[in-house]
Amino acid sequence: MKGPLILIALIAVNGVAGAQTPDCSGVAGWQQQGPVREYGPDNLFDYMDGNAEGYLIYRFVNMKGVTCKKGDDTILIDFHEMADPEYAYGLFCTNRDVRLPNEAIGMGGQVLPRRAVFAKGKYYIELAASPDKDHTAALRGFVATIEKRIEGRATPPDAIGWFPKDRLVPNSVRLIPESVLGLRILKHGYVGQYDFGKVFLVPEESAEAAAQVMAKFRERIGQSVPAKIADDAFTGTDKYLDGLCVFRKDRYIGGFANLKGGRDASAEAAALASSIK
Amino acid sequence: MKNTSSRRSFLAAGLVLPATAMASTTRSTLIEPQVPKSSAPKAGGLSYRVLGKTGMKVTSVGFGCMITSDQSVVEKAADLGITYFDTARGYQQGNNERMVGAALKSKRNSITLSSKTGAQTKQEALAHLDKSLTELGTDHLDIWYLHGKGKASDLTDELIDAQAQARKAGKIRFAGVSMHGGHADVIPAMIAKKDHFDVVLASYNFSMEPSVTPLLESAAKAGLGIVAMKVMAGGFRRTKAGDKLYETLKREGAMLAALKWVLKNSNVHTTIPSMTDMEQLDENLKAMTVPFGSGDEKVLAAQLEYIRPLYCRSCGQCTGVCPSGLPVSDMLRFLSYAEGYGEYSLAREQFLDLPAKVQQVRCNLCPTCTINCPNGVRVAERLSRAQEIFA
Repeated sequence: MKGPLILIALIAVNGVAGAQTPDCSGVAGWQQQGPVREYGPDNLFDYMDGNAEGYLIYRFVNMKGVTCKKGDDTILIDFHEMADPEYAYGLFCTNRDVRLPNEAIGMGGQVLPRRAVFAKGKYYIELAASPDKDHTAALRGFVATIEKRIEGRATPPDAIGWFPKDRLVPNSVRLIPESVLGLRILKHGYVGQYDFGKVFLVPEESAEAAAQVMAKFRERIGQSVPAKIADDAFTGTDKYLDGLCVFRKDRYIGGFANLKGGRDASAEAAALASSIK
Repeated sequence: MKNTSSRRSFLAAGLVLPATAMASTTRSTLIEPQVPKSSAPKAGGLSYRVLGKTGMKVTSVGFGCMITSDQSVVEKAADLGITYFDTARGYQQGNNERMVGAALKSKRNSITLSSKTGAQTKQEALAHLDKSLTELGTDHLDIWYLHGKGKASDLTDELIDAQAQARKAGKIRFAGVSMHGGHADVIPAMIAKKDHFDVVLASYNFSMEPSVTPLLESAAKAGLGIVAMKVMAGGFRRTKAGDKLYETLKREGAMLAALKWVLKNSNVHTTIPSMTDMEQLDENLKAMTVPFGSGDEKVLAAQLEYIRPLYCRSCGQCTGVCPSGLPVSDMLRFLSYAEGYGEYSLAREQFLDLPAKVQQVRCNLCPTCTINCPNGVRVAERLSRAQEIFA
C-alpha cells in the first residue's frame, strides 16, 4: 500500500535493518539452548497457536527466535520482522500494556518483570522470561544490546505526534491494520482515545481517493451536517459510533467518534487537521 | 508466547488436504458433513443451537474477537443478537479481553462469554483466570478453555484440577479445551474425561481431513458442546492481489460460503469467525439465514484449487528422478507433517534420518527440476521449503 509508505517516508532515510537473528551473547552468562527458531507467515501458527493471526494482520514477514538459559532461568528472544517500521510499531502498541508508560527503547518499548517488548526499525522484539520472578535486570541487559544491534527508525511514526496532547489518554494512539472504527471503508490508520471520544486518522493514497472514501462515509452515516474544517468536513451520528466529526485534509481522513451527548469536537478536529504535515 | 514450537498449526486446521479433497475441484472434492433437518437455517432471523450438555442456547454464528480492534463491532454483534463471544488471555497480551469486556459490559447476562489460558501449571492457570475476570469485568466465565492443546498428554491433571477448582469457586461455569490440530488425539481424551470437560473448541473447515467430522460427531454424542474455529480456512485472508484466484476468493460471499459449510454440520453448535468490521459481521449473519448452495461449493472448490500447489497428497505418482538422489515423495511427506499437521519435530527427525549427503542437497542450486507432480504441486518450491526448515 502506498499510503503508509508515504506516511513514514522518513524511515527510508534512517536506513532499514538487514535480516536479524537473535542470540544469547548479549548478556554474560547466558547460553543458547537449541537451534534458532524460524517461522514465516505460512507456519507462524506452529509457534503460536491461536495468536498468530494477530501478528499476521500487522504484515508479519518472518520471525527468528532463540532460547537463552542461565541456570534455571530461561529467556525467549523473538525477532519479528514486519513489512515496515510502521507495522512493527503498530504491533508493539497492540501488545504493550496500555496502562504502563512506554520507555524510550527504539520506537517505543516496555520492560516488565517477566516480559520485554519494543519496536525498532522494521522489527518488533519480544522477550519472555521464566520462572515466575523478577527478571527485569536480565531483560534490560538483553534489550540494551539488541536495541544497539538493530538499525532503523528509533522514533514513533510521525503521525503519532500529530494528535493534540490535551486530553489525549497517554499511550492510547495505535495503528489499526484494517477496518478503522470497525468500518471497512477506512482501510488502515491510527486510533487514539481522548477523554471525550475516540480520535482517528486514516491515510489514503491520494486526495482523490480520500475524497471518494469521504463520500462513502457520508453516505453511510446518512444525515450529516457540513462543517468547516480543512478541505471537507461533516458532523453526524451513528448508532455505534455515536457523535462524529469527520474531516478530510488532502489525502487524510480524520476526526472524532464516540462523542457523547452532542459534544462538539470541531475545535479538536481542526487542531488535528492543522498538525498534519 | 510459548517456549516451545507448538505441534499445532493453523495450516493443520486450514490447509491440509486429504487425498479425496485434493483429487479435483469438482463437487466431490468437498467433504460433506451431515445435514440434519434440525439445523436448517430459519429465514429472516438468527438460528440457535444448544451447546451440548451445557444446555446453553447459543447463536450458530458467534464472534471470535481475537483480531477485532474496535469494540463497536462487538457491540453491534451483541445488539444484533449474537450470543457467543470468545477471547483469550493471550490475545493482544490481554488488551483484547479488556476491549471485549468494555464492549459487552451492558450485555453480560444475556451472552455466553468464553476465554482461554495457555498456562502450563495450575497456579499460573488460576492466576490467568483471575486476570481474565478482572479484564473482562465479570465475576465468571461461561466457558474457560485450556488453550491450544494439540495432544492428549497436554490435558494434564493439574490443568484439569485448575478448571475443577475454578468451577467449584464459581469463577467458571463450564470447562473446555481448544485445539488447532491433534483432534484425533485430544477429542477422544476429552470424551474419556467427559465428566469433567464440557466443550470442545476445535478448528474445523471445508479443507480439513474427513476424519475430523466423525470425531466431532463422537464428541457431540458424548454430550460435549462443539464450537468451531478457523472456519474460514484462513486461505481467504492469505490470498494476495495477483494470485490466480484472488478475485474469486476475495469476492463478497467467499468467506460466507466457508462459514455456511461448517454450519451444515449439526454437531457444530456454534462458530467463532474473526470479524474486524461491521461489513463482515453483516455478511456472517447471513450464514444463519441463507442455506449452503451450489454457488458456495464453487467458491470452496476454487479455494481448494488455490492451496493445491502447496500440498502433496502422497499419491506416489510423481514422475522423474532427482539427479541428486532426493527421495522426493518422502521429503514432501515430511513437509506435510510439519506444515500440515504441525508435527515439526517428527518431520525433522525423519529428515535427519536421511543420508547426510541427501540432507545436504539444495534444490535452489539446480537450474531446473526434473520431478513433475500430476496434481500440480510445485515440487521444486516445496522441496526448497523442506530444506529451508529442516536442514
